[in-house]
Amino acid sequence: MRLLAIGVALVSAAIARAQTPVPWVWPSIPSNFARPRVPADNPMTVEKVSLGRHLFYDTRLSGNRTQSCATCHEQARAFTDGKGRAVGSTGAVHPRGAMSLVNVAYAASLTWANPSQTRLEDQALVPMFGDHPVELGLAQPGSAMLAALRRVDVYQRLMPRAFPGDADPFTVANVTRAIAAFERTIVSARSSYDRYHYDRDDSAISAEAKRGEQLFFSQPLSCFRCHNGFNFSGATDFAGRREGGSPEYHNTGLYNLAGALSYPPDNTGVYEVSRRPDDVGRFKAPTLRNIAVTGPYMHDGSIATLSEVLDHYAAGGRTVVQGPNRGVGHDNPNKSPIVRGFPLTADQKRDLVAFLEALTDVEALGDSRFANPWLASSQEDRWR
Amino acid sequence: MIGRRGAALAAMAAATLSLMAQPAAQAPAPGAAAAGAITVGGDVTKPLSLSADDLKAMPRTTVTVSEEGREIKYDGVLVGEVLKRAGAPLGRDMGGQAVASYVLAKAKDGYQVVFSLPELDPAFTSNDIIIADTIDGKPLFDYQGPFRLVAPHDKRGARSIRMLQSLDLVRLRK
Repeated sequence: MRLLAIGVALVSAAIARAQTPVPWVWPSIPSNFARPRVPADNPMTVEKVSLGRHLFYDTRLSGNRTQSCATCHEQARAFTDGKGRAVGSTGAVHPRGAMSLVNVAYAASLTWANPSQTRLEDQALVPMFGDHPVELGLAQPGSAMLAALRRVDVYQRLMPRAFPGDADPFTVANVTRAIAAFERTIVSARSSYDRYHYDRDDSAISAEAKRGEQLFFSQPLSCFRCHNGFNFSGATDFAGRREGGSPEYHNTGLYNLAGALSYPPDNTGVYEVSRRPDDVGRFKAPTLRNIAVTGPYMHDGSIATLSEVLDHYAAGGRTVVQGPNRGVGHDNPNKSPIVRGFPLTADQKRDLVAFLEALTDVEALGDSRFANPWLASSQEDRWR
Repeated sequence: MIGRRGAALAAMAAATLSLMAQPAAQAPAPGAAAAGAITVGGDVTKPLSLSADDLKAMPRTTVTVSEEGREIKYDGVLVGEVLKRAGAPLGRDMGGQAVASYVLAKAKDGYQVVFSLPELDPAFTSNDIIIADTIDGKPLFDYQGPFRLVAPHDKRGARSIRMLQSLDLVRLRK
């Protein structure tokens, strides 16, 4: 009888442990690198991250079951898709390109040009249910998607473990919470540049890359003024920061169309949200981490290579000589005063590209923890 | 060593720019930075040129700043100490017309910042602004050094000028 009681107690304790979510820790972040800030209403747990990873790679999250989040956010491309403009599940072409999700946990604002998008949980709803353009193409209010998820054994196990306090965890809000939690795990902090900068391994990057770093941080080029901080991006946020970064947007003189709007009318930047004329052409400075694998570049993929991007900035704005978008970007009335142009030799351009290439994090791009859990090679995650 | 943790926390409280994100110089030839020197001139009685070894031999001060969630130690020499050796009016001489003076700091790439002379005088303020030559015990990175002026109490890093080359005293009233 006594042995039976002990046995019952042990089993009960085991069940309790199994039902208590395990707090998530970032195994891929070095100790001297900033930690992401986690919203108080969506704490990170191992179970939730696992659920989010399955959802991220699940085509049940598109209306016609042809696309998942990962369709436009491929790990090998630093969670972009290699397209200048993303293509949705119904073939609709997005005016802008899929942004990298690497280090998105540090972004003070999300998307190319919407200052009000600051939470991954909220942003996930846009590709899921948005119709301008249609991306994943789910029908509101998501009942069909949730019903499809209920029929999957993996989710029958994962949903209750990720949200143990919920009578019915199958909700759209929980789907976005889990996806956001997974996205916050995708941290890149082990590039060659990081080994050089944080580990002080002077041999980690080439002499060319070191010269490029000096150019990047130089007053004449001032690349760092928009792509700043440890994430080489617009405003960042992280755990412990007393003041969150304010969203920043810049008109780089990519276009200068004649007429009231100086940018193509389907891609006017923050103006699309604010309707303030001086916001025309203002877009976010994305992270430059892994930038070498995320071409084509700019918000609309209109520049094919990093070398040509540098030409654009060296000229202080791009000149489009023909077609509907012709114009001298250098003279765009909204152009940032930081984008003034600068002399750049061929050798210096190579140095800068070498520096940018040193920001590629091979470990993150191949990290199995960010990979598709539904594939046979990732079966280790399916028990959860 | 003067640990300035309080200063670091103050800087962290309101930092909107990382110290990393400062204007710097055009790329010099590799290794050129190590041979650098700082000139101290303008309205001083004893203009100086200080080498890296000169700075190493002077009284050292360490300041701690918070950058993006981690604390970083810069070690170097108080700017006030350097100015004193150049004959700038500091200490008992700081007062009267000398208060209307400023120091123009220039970087290799042309970036410039200004400090009032009193805010660089250890007898006048407890704000330890240093000319740093090491970061966490190692030489500064090429894009920072060989010398960086570090102002740990500033809420933003824009005056912590990298690739510092010269300090010039300007006395507005003589």
